[in-house]
Amino acid sequence: MLAIIKNTFREALAKKIFIGYYLFYVIVILVTIFLVNVDTIEGVIDMVDKKTIIQQFETGFIAISWSLIIFFSIISTASFIPSMLEKGTIDLILSKPISRTKILISKFLGAVIFVFISIVFLLGSIWLIVSLKSGYWDVRFLAAVLTITLTYSVMYSIVILFGLITNSSIISILVNFFLIFVLCPILSVRELVIFPILSDSTVQFIINFFYYILPKPGEIKDITNAIITGDAINIWKTSLDTEAQSLAPSWMSMFSSVLFGAVMLAGSVYYFSKKDY
Amino acid sequence: MNVIETNSLSKQYISVFSKQTVNALNDFTFSVQQGEIFGLLGPNGAGKTTLIKILLGITFPTKGQAKLFGKDVKDYTARQKVGYLPENHRFPGYLTGEQVLRYYGELSGLKNDSQMKEKIDWYLTLMNLGQWRNTKVRKYSKGMLQKLGIAQALLSDPELIFLDEPTDGVDPIGRKEIRDILLELRAKGKTIFLNSHLLSEVEMICDRVAILNKGDMVLNGSVDVITKTDNVYEIQTDSSLTMELKSKILEIDPDAGAGENEIHTSKGITGLNSIIDLLRASNINIISVKQKTSTLEDLFINVIRKKIPDVSNN
Repeated sequence: MLAIIKNTFREALAKKIFIGYYLFYVIVILVTIFLVNVDTIEGVIDMVDKKTIIQQFETGFIAISWSLIIFFSIISTASFIPSMLEKGTIDLILSKPISRTKILISKFLGAVIFVFISIVFLLGSIWLIVSLKSGYWDVRFLAAVLTITLTYSVMYSIVILFGLITNSSIISILVNFFLIFVLCPILSVRELVIFPILSDSTVQFIINFFYYILPKPGEIKDITNAIITGDAINIWKTSLDTEAQSLAPSWMSMFSSVLFGAVMLAGSVYYFSKKDY
Repeated sequence: MNVIETNSLSKQYISVFSKQTVNALNDFTFSVQQGEIFGLLGPNGAGKTTLIKILLGITFPTKGQAKLFGKDVKDYTARQKVGYLPENHRFPGYLTGEQVLRYYGELSGLKNDSQMKEKIDWYLTLMNLGQWRNTKVRKYSKGMLQKLGIAQALLSDPELIFLDEPTDGVDPIGRKEIRDILLELRAKGKTIFLNSHLLSEVEMICDRVAILNKGDMVLNGSVDVITKTDNVYEIQTDSSLTMELKSKILEIDPDAGAGENEIHTSKGITGLNSIIDLLRASNINIISVKQKTSTLEDLFINVIRKKIPDVSNN
């Protein structure tokens, strides 16, 4: 397993898109360094409650970058499965005394660890910069490393399944784009936006069905922000906070997303173990 | 001991859209003994690669059973003592020669330790790739990739080695070196399963061959036996044969072929000796007498074109 994980890292390093990916992160870090050293910002930090301003910065950063980080991570790792399935490569790997389940899980873990390290680099750097500048050390921000990695893992399970079936990284990326930027955000605001328009109970049931089954990257972002700010997180149901005019997140969103990811991965393992190459 | 065994192995490919069925293997039963070099021959599309892929668990059979070292091929542990070089193998281009061997060595179950390093050094030197060990394999020539592929297949010291077109793209000197390596492996008791279109090479090193055509085994036997043409002898003389002498030869064997100083007879030992007596009585010197064999290529073409009956023997 370790050999495949190490090779996945080498593959990531060898791909030029990896360079762009880290370059983007370095630019973000440099911009952050610039911003915190701007006189106006320094003045604001000195004047107001540091905890509030830092939390606002952190949650704002998460809100802006969440989907982009996950999507860029998907793009940079989507080709791992199709490249493994190339004729001549897959023959060699499958001829070795290692189970197909182990091969696939190792590939998955290799990608997840690679992305985890890159997110530690980005968010760890941001956290260090902001904390050193402000003097306020908020370790709860680092929970975002875990939640972003978790969300990525869930979305990457879809990449793996589509990669195995279609042998195409483009299709996997497009499916993820549709989920992250279109379908899942629409489903998350169904009660506020869709249900007032579509009152038919059958349609609402179907929409709810898809909402509960599909992953919820947006809701996990809300959970992350709630962890950072120390707000309450419901166990089962997202509730409408009428005073704040926002949706209070629930752990159910994370549980159901993880379950979705596990089912996708199990389906991928089953498909891979039965397929002729 | 049977290293490879198949029993009524069949493989059907069904196209999802057109529902067209292709029988890649039909009721295929054979075995390979330990310590032999077994050659698998057949025209393109005969089922050779399908058979190898089923034996290595890359593809699954539709019916029947296959075993390696007595274990069902569906059990991945059956491949613990197996090395494989596929045709058109692809190594990750971003790896160096040494990294390729290390990676596939670890996948084969070798521990990444000093012993593996020694083996890597040994095989890189053996394959004349030592100076290229730190070069990315995307810069390797076809011949170098082939040699690296063979090194990869042998690194874990397997008992059974599958080689699919092992000398493809390799220069004649390299091919000789590879043949010598294979013969050395056989001497050590290793079993080699060879798939090659270079019939002259197969004839040189294989103990037994099987010929596949359209999913069926049409011939199976030792190379010596199947290329021997019974009862056909060739006599070379040191002087030309007169017309009178040729007429007398035809009286002995009406089907004999008589050239300038060469005679072919298919009358067996009796006819051969009668012709020899005739030549000696006519003071014709005989340079050589030999039993005629066909080349493996002649046999292959005739079998595929169904010009000779099945002479299978195990």
